[in-house]
Amino acid sequence: MIGLTLLVACGAEQAHAQSTDKRGFVWNDRPSIVFGEDLHVDLRARAAFDWRGFDPDVDEDLYDLNVLRVGLKGELTRHFDFEIERELDSDGEWTDWKDVYLNWDTFDAASVRGGRFKMPFGFEQNLSRTDLDFIYRSRISTQLTPARDRGVTVYGRALDRALTYEIGYFDTDGDLGKLEEPQFDTGEETRLGPTYAARVTGAVLRPLVGPDAALRSVRVGAAYTNGRLPEGLNSLRGESPYGFDYFEPVYVKGRRQRLGFELDWTPGPTSVRAEWIQTREDRLGQGLGDRDLSDVLGTGWYVSGTWIVTGQDKDQNISMRRAVIRGGPGAIELGVRYDVLGFGSASKDGPPERNPRAEHILENSDRIWTAGVNWYPMEHVKVVANAIHEDFEDSQRTPKAGETSFWSGVMRLQIVF
Amino acid sequence: MALSMLCLAAGGIGLQAQSSDDLFNPAALQRIDLLVNSQDWEKLKQDFQENTYYPADLTWSGQTVRNAGIRSRGLGSRSGTKPGLRVDFDRYATDQTFLSLKSLVLDNLVQDASGVRESVTMRMFARLGVPAPRESFARVFVNNQLIGLYAVVESVDKDMLARTFGSVDGNVQNDGFLFEYNYLQGSPWRFEYLGADLDAYEPRFDPKTKEDKSASDKWGPIEELVRLVNETPGASLPAVLEPRLDVTAFLRYTAAQNLVAQEDGFTGYDGMNNFYFYRLEDSPQHVFIAWDEDNAFARQDFGITTRHDENVLMRKIMEWPDYRARYFTALQESANSAGQVEEGQSEGWLQAEMRRQLDLIGDAMREDPSKPYTNDDHAAARAAMLDFPNPRVNYVLCETTKALGQAPAPGVCP
Repeated sequence: MIGLTLLVACGAEQAHAQSTDKRGFVWNDRPSIVFGEDLHVDLRARAAFDWRGFDPDVDEDLYDLNVLRVGLKGELTRHFDFEIERELDSDGEWTDWKDVYLNWDTFDAASVRGGRFKMPFGFEQNLSRTDLDFIYRSRISTQLTPARDRGVTVYGRALDRALTYEIGYFDTDGDLGKLEEPQFDTGEETRLGPTYAARVTGAVLRPLVGPDAALRSVRVGAAYTNGRLPEGLNSLRGESPYGFDYFEPVYVKGRRQRLGFELDWTPGPTSVRAEWIQTREDRLGQGLGDRDLSDVLGTGWYVSGTWIVTGQDKDQNISMRRAVIRGGPGAIELGVRYDVLGFGSASKDGPPERNPRAEHILENSDRIWTAGVNWYPMEHVKVVANAIHEDFEDSQRTPKAGETSFWSGVMRLQIVF
Repeated sequence: MALSMLCLAAGGIGLQAQSSDDLFNPAALQRIDLLVNSQDWEKLKQDFQENTYYPADLTWSGQTVRNAGIRSRGLGSRSGTKPGLRVDFDRYATDQTFLSLKSLVLDNLVQDASGVRESVTMRMFARLGVPAPRESFARVFVNNQLIGLYAVVESVDKDMLARTFGSVDGNVQNDGFLFEYNYLQGSPWRFEYLGADLDAYEPRFDPKTKEDKSASDKWGPIEELVRLVNETPGASLPAVLEPRLDVTAFLRYTAAQNLVAQEDGFTGYDGMNNFYFYRLEDSPQHVFIAWDEDNAFARQDFGITTRHDENVLMRKIMEWPDYRARYFTALQESANSAGQVEEGQSEGWLQAEMRRQLDLIGDAMREDPSKPYTNDDHAAARAAMLDFPNPRVNYVLCETTKALGQAPAPGVCP
């Protein structure tokens, strides 16, 4: 599988160089079908293979096919574009639909997207998995953001992209917010959602600095969601990168709200990114004796920095003029990230307890250092190595009870068209 | 102000002075309050066959333990109307105890219209020196609503072992291997050899201590005991059996079960059932601990060797003359103890204890809104219980006298 994919990647590189015909099947950075000016469809594929090691051993698989997706992305006239993407499992069987949407983007200031796609919340979550600086997303991106759902958004940009906005209405609360535990049969509505979401970003320093200033690329943003949360063990959970639940769901009922702030700055070959997210879930009538409990909170943040030591500009697609097949080193990027995600209750009254109906929930958090190297040897191919150190707050809720610190190492080979 | 402080201090001292002995006081009818979320309570009743835990606050005698875990429990006694409950005080708070107890059982009494079969049996066993949990009775309220009359049963755990087996040279004897025997539906077992594969013993002997030990540490000695009992000829049995089984305690236990005509015990009608099995600390020797005796008092003429021939261990023990004599002697002593008239009593101990317990719970039983039988059923069961002791004691004394080749006392044998 890996060899076949690499072979296709090398072939694509050569075909790209030979591509001259702009109609029919062409290589235009990736395989495409062009039907004239009004319609073209890119064929897309993504695969990522991981090799993992753990200390102490937590019985995880050494090899993992993390991503295997194929899709179509294209344009219908200058007014519409679309994307369809679906995942396959390691046996080649179809699994989840990913993006399936249609955009109407005649006007920059107000476009409309409908279908299934990522909700406008979370900077890192809205990056493609294969565009990340590290192998795994930060915990706040995987546990607190909603990710994809069926819905509609109005979005746009103004002031030469200095200001962007998105506002949307979604069916439930995203793939990451969905209900996973058995539900109560109370006769009441057990449906999650609908959820409203909004996100605004701005290049806030652009008016204040010159056209070549490093600070010009600073972009900050804020986002918010609000959705209906049915009664049950339905709170968000704390999960480590390898699937261990260090904070299991507690009983909730009412609304689920998210608030997030983001920073993205990409001066030259470097980048600095940071996010802070807090979720707040109601617990109406969820206490012993049916009394209301204080909100359950999920709070976390990360800050990361990267540096492309081979000098390419981070803000653009990383140039492959010095790719390995042209005799160069490709691009090599170093990165480090610290991220934290903890769960607890708004109330700190009385002794903290682990039970899912506690007024004062005993907190647990996962604090993670990630250091890594990204090597882009050629177009479409990326090799990533990450060292990860996790530190859990509650020694009774870790992948190995009584031990709080864990090291892991992950290598990934990914190929993307 | 000073008076208030004095009262508060006195109250505090009173609360602190309470212990598990007060909770299991056989002379008191307790009140236990559980505060739970109503959805949890409905779900526990709806899914009463599952062992899902729910958080609860438990209040007894003015003391509240927060953050306990409750779940449905039982085998045939599981009920969605009046759930039997296990209460674990350390479910959500590591090492939390209540009155030094880590857990207790609230027995729903749904299989016993008299309400006292098990508690009388456990009191009788304790009197005879058989390891048995303490029990009392309580009206149980959930969210301030009366659920019904329950028996409060001491869990068989390290605390109970410490109480039962005491200390040797300052070392509390509770660090052995404790197993709850699991009756497997449709697969009765009567101590036949199950083979060398320890997997055959694992589902029947559920470890309650030292769960993280190896399979050979946990079940190896049990396999060895069963194998040796099955394979050793009678004449050689004591030499291999006594290092691995406290035979004296076993004879006392089986004699006590026979005295109370227990149909579902070690020599039960569908194989062995209802006991804990404990391997003593730093020893290969095992003892039986009584559990769930609500099928006692089956009939007055319950034979004194009922189903002994069906159980390999019991049969082989009874084939050895010395053990056989010790069994009948233990049974005779048990009957004498049950029939002994204590000072200030006008009837034998067993009869008096039954009457005392029946009188204690009478009103609470009649007010129980969830019991699966009528008050008339309870009245009939009460009468049947009180009719049991005297004929039973006489029957056992008569039969053991014959078995031991003794001359019966006047009036004992009809």
